[in-house]
Amino acid sequence: MNRRDWLVASAAVTGSAVTMRFQKRKYVRGLRPKRSRIAILRADQYSDKLDELVYDGLLLFNLDIRGKSVLLKPNLVEYIPGKPVNTDAYLIGAAAEGFLRLGAASVTVAEGPGHHRDTDFLLYKTDLTDQLARRKIQFVDLNRDELIKTKLEASYSGLGHLWLPRTVLAADFIVSMPKVKTHHWARVTLSMKNMFGLVPGSRYGWPKNILHWAGIHESILDICATVRPRFVIADGIVAMDGDGPLNGAPRHLKTILLADDPVAADSTLARLMGFRPEGVMHLREAGRFIGNLLPSAISQLE
Amino acid sequence: MELVREIQSEIEKRSLSGGGWASGDGRRAGIETTCYALMALRDRPGRARDTAIDLLLRTQNPDGSWPAFEGDDREGCWTTSLVVIALRFARSPAALVEKGVRWLLNNKGREGHWFWNWKFRTADRAVQFDPDKYGWPWFPGTVSWVIPTAFSLIALRKSPPCCRTESIVHRIQLGTEMLRDRVCPSGGWNAGNGVVFGAALNAHIDTTAIALLALAGDNGQASSSRALEWLRAACVECPSAYGLAWAAIALAIRQDAAAGLCLAHLRAALSATHTLANIETLSLAAIAISDAEGNANPFHVEI
Repeated sequence: MNRRDWLVASAAVTGSAVTMRFQKRKYVRGLRPKRSRIAILRADQYSDKLDELVYDGLLLFNLDIRGKSVLLKPNLVEYIPGKPVNTDAYLIGAAAEGFLRLGAASVTVAEGPGHHRDTDFLLYKTDLTDQLARRKIQFVDLNRDELIKTKLEASYSGLGHLWLPRTVLAADFIVSMPKVKTHHWARVTLSMKNMFGLVPGSRYGWPKNILHWAGIHESILDICATVRPRFVIADGIVAMDGDGPLNGAPRHLKTILLADDPVAADSTLARLMGFRPEGVMHLREAGRFIGNLLPSAISQLE
Repeated sequence: MELVREIQSEIEKRSLSGGGWASGDGRRAGIETTCYALMALRDRPGRARDTAIDLLLRTQNPDGSWPAFEGDDREGCWTTSLVVIALRFARSPAALVEKGVRWLLNNKGREGHWFWNWKFRTADRAVQFDPDKYGWPWFPGTVSWVIPTAFSLIALRKSPPCCRTESIVHRIQLGTEMLRDRVCPSGGWNAGNGVVFGAALNAHIDTTAIALLALAGDNGQASSSRALEWLRAACVECPSAYGLAWAAIALAIRQDAAAGLCLAHLRAALSATHTLANIETLSLAAIAISDAEGNANPFHVEI
């Protein structure tokens, strides 16, 4: 074998190894439904009027909630006055009320803020303390919950397992409630990226830097494959555009998006924000096994 | 004195049967939570204190580090510095503490590695910081952050003068420089960098207080003076007992005039809810109030 043959053969071997690596299925089971449903609700401000709007929106889905424990996972990261960083407290309150009216046995709001260790401070400053007290809704700080070692149901990040909060694993029905935002690394931060907040700071730090080093898109896929949100209520009344997730500018989308599939929710929201969802790695890949990315597989309820 | 005793009783009541304290409603002892509670009990004799010390001693990893909670994977993390502080305060066996100190000296933020240092200097400039100035990560294999660096600095600065090796002095110097490098433009510290993607971040009360504890004695430094100024103002409107407790501890150690006002806010925040507060908040509040009553502060470092 001469030098040229040797180079060609090496390139062929390397090429097939790389191809095999990328073709190898990285998830344990397919979670994608045949069709997904979304509803786009219009609202131009945050107020108690959201209670009826969200409840009517939930009714469109005929959800079987009776007797179930519902966990609402909003996006609470940081308090920056004047910046639409966090899911609004009025919307969280309205969602809690809506699920209780649908017959949920319990509704818990749970979050593990990514930057702030002082969760009480964040709850006060975002007015969530008031909403929760008024509606007698329990809050669980996922950064400090009891943890259970959980094998990940996908292997994009290489993490293998994560310690996840008992409250999350015990919930019957998890609702991701993202603030619709752009993200300087993940491009968008929507219902799937919002699931980063399940990962406990007490085990992984503030922020959960291990996930960044393992790959943001890859970690999102592994977490959502393991704890797939059953429903999405996205806060796009005032979204964030530009340098998100903390320093972008407000963008008045005047939209609340409801969906029974996180991939359908995020791809629709990405389109609303002017992004091609196929251009966002975690959305493109999630479209293979977590949910529906293509508009043809998504029904809009009205 | 009465409030401190009440809090201490509440802490003892919530001690786990196997020793230590869990965060939230859990049944598994958290190392951070246990450290704060142990410091809050001070030298108050009893089963809760004894079993907490036992728990900390038996959960140390073979490499000298401590995990995040009892039953965690045995890879060690930032809690090691807190355990070193807590066990020194409780006058526990020095050999185990020294093993923890050695682990801290071997652990550093990822930017301390030549390859990542080079990457942060050349290719990855979105997050602006000086990678030559590194401290400690939350978990090995990630970059330095303010709180783990500050706790590690306190742990090392509490080393007896006889045991201050060259590497301890070097890491104290580097960690101090790292904190000064990461300060927020408006004063104080956020979780990591003060500026990200060209945008200035706001400081956090607890992070700023802990960093000020680590930098005790550098009152002349502009970063500390501005942080103190920021912290005094932030206390006035802080609704959280947890944040107020950290601020009160830091202001008291600095003998700052605002400590009294901060403590008054803390007492008010606690008065209605102290039986409902979590162990971390209760413990830090007890440490803050106890300091004001003239007792030793576990975070105090000799200057």
